[in-house]
Amino acid sequence: MMFQGQSQVNDTLTQAYSEKWSGVDEIEQSGAVVQFMSSNDLIFVVLGVTLIIWFVLLYFVIRVDKKVTDLETQLSSGE
Amino acid sequence: MKSSARLKIWKIGIAFWITIVIIAGFLIQIPKIPILEQTARNLFFHVPMWMAMYSMFLMGFIQSIRYLNNPHSATDIKAESATRIGMMFGVCGLLTGSLWARFTWGTWWTFAEPKMNLAALCMMIYVAYFVLRSAFDDEEKRAKISAVYNIFAVTTVPFLLYVVPRQLTSLHPGADGNPAFSEITADELRWVLYPAFIGFIAFAYWLYTILHRYQTVKYQIDHT
Repeated sequence: MMFQGQSQVNDTLTQAYSEKWSGVDEIEQSGAVVQFMSSNDLIFVVLGVTLIIWFVLLYFVIRVDKKVTDLETQLSSGE
Repeated sequence: MKSSARLKIWKIGIAFWITIVIIAGFLIQIPKIPILEQTARNLFFHVPMWMAMYSMFLMGFIQSIRYLNNPHSATDIKAESATRIGMMFGVCGLLTGSLWARFTWGTWWTFAEPKMNLAALCMMIYVAYFVLRSAFDDEEKRAKISAVYNIFAVTTVPFLLYVVPRQLTSLHPGADGNPAFSEITADELRWVLYPAFIGFIAFAYWLYTILHRYQTVKYQIDHT
């Protein structure tokens, strides 16, 4: 099973970067929003990323929708 | 030319609806199921892709029948647009399913899994619909023959994705004659899953309206 060895996985990422990733240590002193985002194993960060993608896609769809509406009115008024 | 048209209220509704579904899908408490772990949340996003695909293929089927009853280019355009959007959601379903499978079943793709392979076969049948369409220069001939083909294509969907997979041994829930979603699944998942179905089907419909309106405008410009 691929998950069995999870606890023994050699975390080279932390070894190499823990000094550079200073944000983690400052959570206690940071504002309420950042503390909230840092809770629950950082699931809110994943949610944030997903929502950003969703909103950008949504913005794009709305724009295309409006452009089609423009073309429709242009075409009907031109005739 | 400036449009004064505001975005329709139901479109704003869909935007909010899916946003809430995503938030709820990430944040609700789910039962801890071994192997699945947090990927149980994929239920809220993977399965609605298929529901959106079914609804769009059904829409394409209805428009194809309408075309054969009363041949008019508008219904042919609608049938093609709906099938296109359905394909897009089907591809999303296959890709998300494949990723999910890698981390729960241990492989990106397995030929031991009937639902996975029959879903891919179903996609192939619909790919043939677009290949068929591209084979005709004559518009009426293209519309008529592709409408007939589409009616054939849609009849394969329930068999490929419901009837046959349930008779066979499968890694998907719902194999060996079991219901896919009953006492074996936690109730609280339904509170997000069903709204997700509604949300993504409605979103598919929105995309379908944009596509067929665009195709209609294009058709009108090409024919003037």
